[in-house]
Amino acid sequence: MINTAILSWVTFIYFGAFVFYLFRMILEHPFWGKLASWIAWTGLIAHSVALIIRWKASYDLAIGHVPLSNFYESLIFFAWTIVFLYLLMERQLKNHSIGVFVMPMAFLMMAYASIAPGINNRIEPLIPALQSNWLTSHVLTCFMGYAAFTVTFALGIMFFVRKVVARNSSGVRAFIHLLPSDDQIDDLIYSCAALGFIFLTLGIVTGSVWAHYAWGSYWSWDPKETWSFITWLIYAVMLHVRLMRGWRGVRMAAMAIVGFGCVLFTYLGVNLLPSLHSYLT
Amino acid sequence: MSPFYLPVGALPNGDSMIHVFPVIVFSNLCVNRELHCQKHHDKHFALTVYIVDTSLSGENILSKKKSTIWSFFSSVRLAIVLLLIIALIAMIGTLFPQREAAAELAGRIPPGLFSFLQKMQIFDLYHSVWFILLMGLLAVNLLICSLNRFPAAWNRFRSSPIPRDPDAFKDLGEENLFYPESDVKKATDAATHLLKKKYHSFKQADEKGSVYLCAQKGRFAHFGVYMVHLSILGFICGAVIGSVSGIDGSVKILEGETISVIGLRNGGKMMPLPFSVRCDKFTLERYKNGAPRIFQSDLTFIKNDRAVRSVKLLVNHPVVFEGFHFYQASYGSVTGKKATLALLRDGGRRDIVNVSAGYTFDLPGKEGIFKVLRVEDNMMQMGPAIKIAVHSEKEAATFWVFRDIDRIRQVIPDVSERVPVFNPGLFRPYTFSLLEIEKKYYTGLQVNRDPGTPVVAAAAVLLISGLMIIIFSYARQIWIRIDQDDGRVRIGIAGRSIKNKVGLKHEVRYLLAQLKDNLENPK
Repeated sequence: MINTAILSWVTFIYFGAFVFYLFRMILEHPFWGKLASWIAWTGLIAHSVALIIRWKASYDLAIGHVPLSNFYESLIFFAWTIVFLYLLMERQLKNHSIGVFVMPMAFLMMAYASIAPGINNRIEPLIPALQSNWLTSHVLTCFMGYAAFTVTFALGIMFFVRKVVARNSSGVRAFIHLLPSDDQIDDLIYSCAALGFIFLTLGIVTGSVWAHYAWGSYWSWDPKETWSFITWLIYAVMLHVRLMRGWRGVRMAAMAIVGFGCVLFTYLGVNLLPSLHSYLT
Repeated sequence: MSPFYLPVGALPNGDSMIHVFPVIVFSNLCVNRELHCQKHHDKHFALTVYIVDTSLSGENILSKKKSTIWSFFSSVRLAIVLLLIIALIAMIGTLFPQREAAAELAGRIPPGLFSFLQKMQIFDLYHSVWFILLMGLLAVNLLICSLNRFPAAWNRFRSSPIPRDPDAFKDLGEENLFYPESDVKKATDAATHLLKKKYHSFKQADEKGSVYLCAQKGRFAHFGVYMVHLSILGFICGAVIGSVSGIDGSVKILEGETISVIGLRNGGKMMPLPFSVRCDKFTLERYKNGAPRIFQSDLTFIKNDRAVRSVKLLVNHPVVFEGFHFYQASYGSVTGKKATLALLRDGGRRDIVNVSAGYTFDLPGKEGIFKVLRVEDNMMQMGPAIKIAVHSEKEAATFWVFRDIDRIRQVIPDVSERVPVFNPGLFRPYTFSLLEIEKKYYTGLQVNRDPGTPVVAAAAVLLISGLMIIIFSYARQIWIRIDQDDGRVRIGIAGRSIKNKVGLKHEVRYLLAQLKDNLENPK
């Protein structure tokens, strides 16, 4: 299928973008940053085109639905939201250094989708429970949230990398001075976590409304629901400790990493537990 | 110190400052704790002087000594600890099978351990005393936290024309001051005009020869936090209403049958409905790959022996009847009582008869009669089968007829010889073969009534609006003071913003430039 072919190319494009972001950091020439940014945008456009083709293809098979209905499609869309969010952020901040930490996430996601065994990349018809208009809004908001948390995580990693490199005075100086300052990273971590929190809340609420129509109960403590609730609590704690108890820097970066652990478990780990959300396996 | 505002913050552990002078606590967001402690002492003086001016009665507040319990419940630390414990308990709940699923675990672990876990309510954790207790504590904590801080937010919302912080104009930098050539009246008019144009409304106060003008935007941002907290209380209320007076049941209805009793999920009790439901028809459509595409039930609601309403029930499209929500949840099939049987007589004649258990029939050649004893859906894991007894004057035989006899013979070629009762040709000269056993579909319905749902829905709307307000909007307050300094008219602009300090700085500059322009180049 043409869409999966494009998507496997996009995987390499994202990897290329990552390499050039890294060049920017090591070789210190702004040209590499611009090039990396252009490549990432190209990748995102190709990615979007592939998604649209896949969407159309599903209609040609007379089982038309948004490409958000199985594990493969969710991974692909997850990567899309990460790159989309990152590139918007990059335009705002005019700083290419964060790309070094975010692009690998998108690349890994895409690579996993095409390489991992047992992932079905065919367009499958929707079972009755998924035939709902809430599918799009639920998945869209959830993955926007996941993506914001992924960027938060990348920022947290960046914070620690900066700390470690700064400690070794012999370390790569260039790398450091191109990264945002501790305070800037801290602000970004907060903003991204807050954005993710809003989207996660929207995702949980749309999911609840859908569950109300599909399963007859807005909340049934299904493992996926429970883990999204746990993730929500962790980020609620993260926002409270910052706003009310003045946590900054290392602690927030650590929270960003812990929070992302919950996101990953909500997304992947839950499949190990019996669940109503078993569409992914 | 910032010339724009003074970040006096709330110490979350219930520091007395916040109780005594909630008026001056204008930022319970974005407060750096060290900053607060450091300000605390040098602020104390100014505050005691200032409280005379506030609308809130100082003595009244002072006399209201907060108890230890109050300060315990009003602490943010408690909230954080509670949220983490709830997260932990929720996590444990996903590791152990819950409710019905727990039975499966019973066989795999020692009975002592199982009954211990059961006593600890590990298998119904989300409805356990633990969980309810934690949720109750969280609700109290949330309520008291919010009550404690709300007066401050309310005062910020109402805005006072004179800054409550007496230092707001004290260290105003040169870039926020301007000495016009005009008199106080003219300057006031220009400032009034500007504020009206930019903020639509403003407040004015005169004090000791100074004129204060105050304008505010995004004032509702102060309530975002309270909306979120209220919504959480709403969720808890909705859940309580649901668990107290809600009904969560399910029922299976065979095609053509009528039910008026449902099984409750919790405790497995039965509950009669005030009406009956008949499943007229069940339809299942499949995709080419075999996955279900659509399943739907045609239902009729019957009240007092009269068919009141007929509906088509589909997945994702529940139907409400007399407050009960019906959901298409599942389907399945059971073996019906009817089977189709073919009789082959040696020499050619083949008859097809529809039979059911207890059915008696003369053999076509009048050699005897046969009787259907049993109809089995899956006989000894070998598929559908019926048991037949044949009598004639000379002999009697009882044997099983399998539908999949050809497949069975592939595995055990001599099955008819080894097990004569499995031989469909036991009664000569006939060979029986089972063509099909009728299957009947049943529809699995989820039947619910949850009066808490509207409360939860309202809370969800409140939660999202509150979060949007907190994250995307900000309150900004601007004061313009016009006074005399060494005989010259002086205009000063001060502002306060919890977020976006840079934006505030720009706004103050912009206002000053506008004011300068208006006064120096009057139209």
